[in-house]
Amino acid sequence: MKFADFICPEAIRADLAAVDKEGAIREIVKSLQDAGKIDPGENESIVKAILKREELGSTGIGRGVAVPHTKHPSVDRLLATVAVSRQGVDFTSLDGETVHLFFLLISPLDRPGDHLRALENISRQLRDDTFCRFLKQAKSQADIRTLLAEADNNQFGS
Amino acid sequence: MSEQKVSRSLVVTDPSGVHVRTATAIQAVARRSRSEIQVISACHKAKGTDIWDLLALAAPCGSTITLEAAGPDAGEVLDALAPIFTGDETVLLAALRKK
Repeated sequence: MKFADFICPEAIRADLAAVDKEGAIREIVKSLQDAGKIDPGENESIVKAILKREELGSTGIGRGVAVPHTKHPSVDRLLATVAVSRQGVDFTSLDGETVHLFFLLISPLDRPGDHLRALENISRQLRDDTFCRFLKQAKSQADIRTLLAEADNNQFGS
Repeated sequence: MSEQKVSRSLVVTDPSGVHVRTATAIQAVARRSRSEIQVISACHKAKGTDIWDLLALAAPCGSTITLEAAGPDAGEVLDALAPIFTGDETVLLAALRKK
């Protein structure tokens, strides 16, 4: 699975303003809503589901990366986006580092395979230090779109 | 205690497959162990202590996983790892909370 298969490019954020976990999740979900991918009436339910998942254990998987996610009945295909925080967000990550790079995923209730393939792609690509660093340094949505497209075309090391 | 090398194949029965919490639980158990752990799926071989490697397993429910452990507590650590793949909440919580 490639980034182009699950990342909603219109919802990509290069300038996350939130400084805490809940604020970051709300801001990213709102960006999906603003891109027309989420029904505004489902926004709060999705945010709460993601926060509930975080209560079970942080999805901050280290190296400044988090993958907040949930299953939700309002989506019929895997929906995801990317957000970059310059200042970093305290996400109670496994390695204690603040998070600068978010991949937020919302899955239908009955399609766990797509979620696993998206995670596989994210982990494989972000193991590449150059790609990870470039994404964290991205200054615009266009920069991030370009980097994701380059990763999809195997232009980074992994 | 003598060095042991053991392996075990099992079927993933967690309906969500090997997802982030599963990988985090495996990593927690592997880090407490004195053995080297490998988790092998159809598409990837992951080091048990490496969350990034574990997330690349992409192992769905119904797929077969092979666990390998080498070290003084190899058998014991496979006994602790195997139930994680059922997705049982009690097992996951115990793996994550145990120091």
